[in-house]
Amino acid sequence: MINKEVEKLLLKVQKPGRYVGGEMNSIVKDKNKVNLRFAFCFPDTYEVGMSHLGMKILYSLFNSFEDIWCERVFAPWVDMEALMRQNHIPLFALESGDPISEFDFIGFTLQYELSFTNILNMLQLGNIPVKSKDRTELKNIVCAGGPCACNPEPIADFIDLFFIGEGEEVDLEVMDLYRQCKKNNETKQEFLIKASQIKGVYVPSLYEVTYNEDYTIKAITPLHNAPPKVEKRLMTNMDKSYYPENFVVPMIEIVHDRAMEEIFRGCIRGCRFCQAGFLYRPVREKSVEVINEQCHTLCNNTGYDEVSLSSLSSSDYTQIGGLLTQLNEWAKEEQVSISLPSLRVDGFDDEIISKIKTVRKSGLTFAPEAGTQRMRDVINKNVREDELMQTCSKAFNNGWTKVKLYFMIGLPTETDEDVQGIAELGQKVINTFYSCENRPKGKAVSVTLSTSSFVPKPFTPFQWEPQDSEESLKAKQKLIKESIHSRKITYNYHDSSTSFLEAVFARGDRRLCKVMELALEKGFHFDGWGECFSLEKWLKLFKECGIDPHFYANRKRSFDEVLAWEHLDYGVSKEFLIKECKKAYASQTTENCRQKCSNCGANKWKVGVCFEKRKNMV
Amino acid sequence: MKSVRIWFKKDGATRYISHLDLNRVMTRALQHSRLPIWHTEGFNPHPFLTFALPLSLGFRGVRECMDIKLTEDNICEKEIIDKLNASLPVGIRIFKVTDPIMKAGKITYAKFHMKMTCDTITLEELFFLFRNLFARETIEIEKKNKKGVVKTLDLKPDIGEYTLEKTNNDVTLEIILSAGSVQNVNPTLLIAILEKENNIEINYDITRMDLYNEEMKAFV
Ligand code: SF4
Repeated sequence: MINKEVEKLLLKVQKPGRYVGGEMNSIVKDKNKVNLRFAFCFPDTYEVGMSHLGMKILYSLFNSFEDIWCERVFAPWVDMEALMRQNHIPLFALESGDPISEFDFIGFTLQYELSFTNILNMLQLGNIPVKSKDRTELKNIVCAGGPCACNPEPIADFIDLFFIGEGEEVDLEVMDLYRQCKKNNETKQEFLIKASQIKGVYVPSLYEVTYNEDYTIKAITPLHNAPPKVEKRLMTNMDKSYYPENFVVPMIEIVHDRAMEEIFRGCIRGCRFCQAGFLYRPVREKSVEVINEQCHTLCNNTGYDEVSLSSLSSSDYTQIGGLLTQLNEWAKEEQVSISLPSLRVDGFDDEIISKIKTVRKSGLTFAPEAGTQRMRDVINKNVREDELMQTCSKAFNNGWTKVKLYFMIGLPTETDEDVQGIAELGQKVINTFYSCENRPKGKAVSVTLSTSSFVPKPFTPFQWEPQDSEESLKAKQKLIKESIHSRKITYNYHDSSTSFLEAVFARGDRRLCKVMELALEKGFHFDGWGECFSLEKWLKLFKECGIDPHFYANRKRSFDEVLAWEHLDYGVSKEFLIKECKKAYASQTTENCRQKCSNCGANKWKVGVCFEKRKNMV
Repeated sequence: MKSVRIWFKKDGATRYISHLDLNRVMTRALQHSRLPIWHTEGFNPHPFLTFALPLSLGFRGVRECMDIKLTEDNICEKEIIDKLNASLPVGIRIFKVTDPIMKAGKITYAKFHMKMTCDTITLEELFFLFRNLFARETIEIEKKNKKGVVKTLDLKPDIGEYTLEKTNNDVTLEIILSAGSVQNVNPTLLIAILEKENNIEINYDITRMDLYNEEMKAFV
């Protein structure tokens, strides 16, 4: 439903299709026939949010209940925001066109730290008081989940409750509790105290944080019987876990416009920089039969002609070959192509290539992450150079000519040699191309090297590490540029200033809330977008608040420091992370979960890879 | 193989998608419908479809059409309509399927129904602005050509029959304008002239009613 007032603005903005809803499979219910309305807010543009799988899962799940109506809300782009403010139009949900202040729950998904300002901005646009304590009634419960909920402290003052871990069950339990409390005329405070007793719910206002003189945290103390450690929730049986049979099919072009099928959760690898690899432990797979059926249903219901098999590392699916064979039985005939994002260097075997060949040959992307073997051992990215070269040979012999390689710079223990190694690796790939007998003739090879700046994240073995300084990162970028001697190599790098802010928020504590509030006041939004982000402005803001951002980003923490996320528990033990950190310094690798269990702690759920039979044990 | 002309309305939320987006929506609907649609050949086969004349973003269309090719001859109209409608967003509704009689290249005119309001002047004033506009000997606009050179263009010869009326809620204009591949006049050009000359903003709601050939026979 497009609101009349909104309609007047639509012809004055770019891509009005972002704001109108009305897509095939979007769910419209009678608001008088539901007893709970949930505004699912994605703090970025429509195109980004609509590409996100987690939102699709929860949207369909919530709406599968007759009495719940879940609608989508996205951050209006700056042109629309300006017009909305000018015309006093509050932020609205796409399905009903109703302002978000009419909703029982206003839920945000936290995918990246730089979207934090958009969350506050969206609340304000919706005329919702941004601070949790200023919302006193039992309505407009502002909640949030997603990967960044693992350290939600920088936005703790604004959010009533966080969902820790996977949301499918806990979200519904909290909604049930809300309805009960409403029925019994209970207060918001009573509701929050009860909610904190549900496993996987973190109510930040029920924890008191005290600080030491050196500015570090002294203690995090639960109040009102809230649990001292909030343990994450996770789905124990992926085959039985809810999966949508239908996606909203957008009318305008979005980032990933295709069907997506989640094939497993978690990652066996344990790369030491990768937060997702630790947050989603242990690996839990769906069976081939279930995946096959879900893919087929989705393609039938949406009309998509591409389905991507989604996971943190698709080629690690135990039966990837068998799965592709089954999928291809119908996919070929129905002109559906299968794509495998997040392919590992060593997962690119002939069998897989032949089965995903239908997918464009434009470019292959791999992430060796570091330029030398030593550095890769430090980060536990168990990929060898010869494997990369073999994979590239295969690709070149099969007709590919473009390879894109992703790296990180600013990793712990990194030396100039490691940095130069990135350029050298690019050169070796070029040389490999020319040694391939079946390389496409008459076509030039092109290698793109892309670096991002390492951001230490909570719940990883590097959570105590300082982020490399901006000067040092810039020098490293320069060094790579200077070490490239071929025109066939292109070098791209991400701006290190956004990584700096990301590092501040990622490991920030509650004292950053006041920076956030000031940022809102000054109209900060879309920090993840180059056209809106300004580090200079942020630095000024930190200064104004008397907060040193380097304390959060560039300081080495000791193992016994109380971390801002100390009271959250993702199953991976601190002892394990410390052990991993020490091994990193000794350049020692750790086996992946399938080779050997390293007892990280995630086996306490008694599911998934922790209980698979390992080959070397049989 | 059989070419058919699919007639549809474009309204509601789908008003706000561009021609390119409409193309994608239709392509996917054809795919989803599982009708025996002919696909283009080549490296990247996709359902063949071609629209009679693009409709501007923001306009409603009540008699839009596109041509597709079916690989089987004996499919009834109802089946095509039902299957496609089940595959489309609610804003787009197929209402008829016919043989393509005229070629799209024959389109010469289009009729628009326009409702306009302005927040800063009265409807009366808006009405007179339009009346005076049509009374001019020439209706000139400036247009940049591809090389960036500004040229003046007279719209007067492109304006056919029209009726202008002030209603209780708006100023309503029904107008026939040149359309098609040779000369295509977007009705917002008229609005833009008045906006610029009077420094006002005009809200508009435009519906394309129909397309015609050179002899003003409705496009079929
Ligand atoms: S307990 Fe062992 S198998 Fe399970 S996730 Fe941890 S390391 Fe992997």
